[in-house]
Amino acid sequence: ELQTREKSGDEGGGVAAPPPMFAGLSDVSISEDIPVEGEITVPVGSHSPDEDYSTLDEPVKDTIMRDLKAVGKKFVHVMYPKKSSALLRDWDLWGPLVLCVSLALMLQGGSADSKDDGGPQFAEVFVIIWFGAVVITLNSKLLGGTISFFQSLCVLGYCVLPLTVAMLVCRLVLLAGSGTVIFIVRLVVVMAMFAWSTLASTAFLADSQPPNRKALVVYPIFLFYFVISWMILTFPPQ
Amino acid sequence: GCWGGFSLQPLVDDTEDVSLDFGNEEELALRKARIRHPLATFFHLFFRVSAIVTYLLCDWFSKSFVACFVTILLLLSFDFWSVKNVTGRLLVGLRWWNQIDEDGKSHWIFEAKKVSTSIAASTEAEARIFWLGLIICPVIWTVFFFSTLFSLKLKWLALVIAGISLQTANLYGYIHCKLGGKKSITKVTSRF
Repeated sequence: ELQTREKSGDEGGGVAAPPPMFAGLSDVSISEDIPVEGEITVPVGSHSPDEDYSTLDEPVKDTIMRDLKAVGKKFVHVMYPKKSSALLRDWDLWGPLVLCVSLALMLQGGSADSKDDGGPQFAEVFVIIWFGAVVITLNSKLLGGTISFFQSLCVLGYCVLPLTVAMLVCRLVLLAGSGTVIFIVRLVVVMAMFAWSTLASTAFLADSQPPNRKALVVYPIFLFYFVISWMILTFPPQ
Repeated sequence: GCWGGFSLQPLVDDTEDVSLDFGNEEELALRKARIRHPLATFFHLFFRVSAIVTYLLCDWFSKSFVACFVTILLLLSFDFWSVKNVTGRLLVGLRWWNQIDEDGKSHWIFEAKKVSTSIAASTEAEARIFWLGLIICPVIWTVFFFSTLFSLKLKWLALVIAGISLQTANLYGYIHCKLGGKKSITKVTSRF
């Protein structure tokens, strides 16, 4: 008698309805000592549509952990920028949101008009960062860049990380006083972080441009981080 | 035949009790329930409604503009993420996302789950709650936009615009899924 062992319960997700079992096999005779076994699985690459099809039913915790890990990986990539196209493909805007909010929180309260409760400055920083990033992205797209809109926003947003660190350092340093030495320390830190931000973002963004246009793409990025660095550096000591 | 030695008997004896599988009763209750994903339904509405309520009542909660701004922004972001990634697929079986292939081209993909009769599938009531929540909230934020503009409270404008964009993005994504989802299914399955 024919003995077959099939993997139970797999449907190969979307395979066309199989023909009635054992149709056409009724005239095949196989010796009983040789079990015929096989697996009905479809070899698939790790290409996303298949993965995501199965993630349609995954538990919520998995979704959260997956996204958190992706964000963490990007933060690490900003600190050690080496070109990685896989990173660029998996964009998200959580990092930029967190960085923007922290930077804006740290920058408010710097106005001489203390009854203002920091309202306008907070919204200003927010608008400068997001509007600036959108303008740079549009600029690079108009110049014929191959990178997508949200990818570019993602990179620009994540590369604000060194400047956020600079802001933190500045505020801590300012707690110690406000002399010339303190100012020089702040200047050096901010300049170093500004260079880091600009280099990190151009490492990711400039490659999507044809070579004779790289400078045209780099200078708005330079300007963008310069404005942010300026806001950080001119944050008045209390 | 090789059944020698056994005598055939009717499968169920008259005196034998037919044992019920008690698991079926729970499944039956689940099948009859009007809301099968209570947590997802709650969170679908919770973040959106809290954002709107906080915006309306922020003067009572706290005098600080910054605290209100950050709170509402965080609520809007959590709402966007949870509706896009969780409640959409649990409550109506739809999902949309963006994918960038090796060439760097970006594709927007809209998926609709084929109708499943499993007990974990979503119900009429859940779908209704989902779509109502999805449609009404962006409308409310648009109303806020005009009221902010005309009352010249411009510092809130950035927040209202962020709210409108995030909620409209989800609305648009899901409508696209609903209308065009069947195409994606056939596209995916043809790869096999």
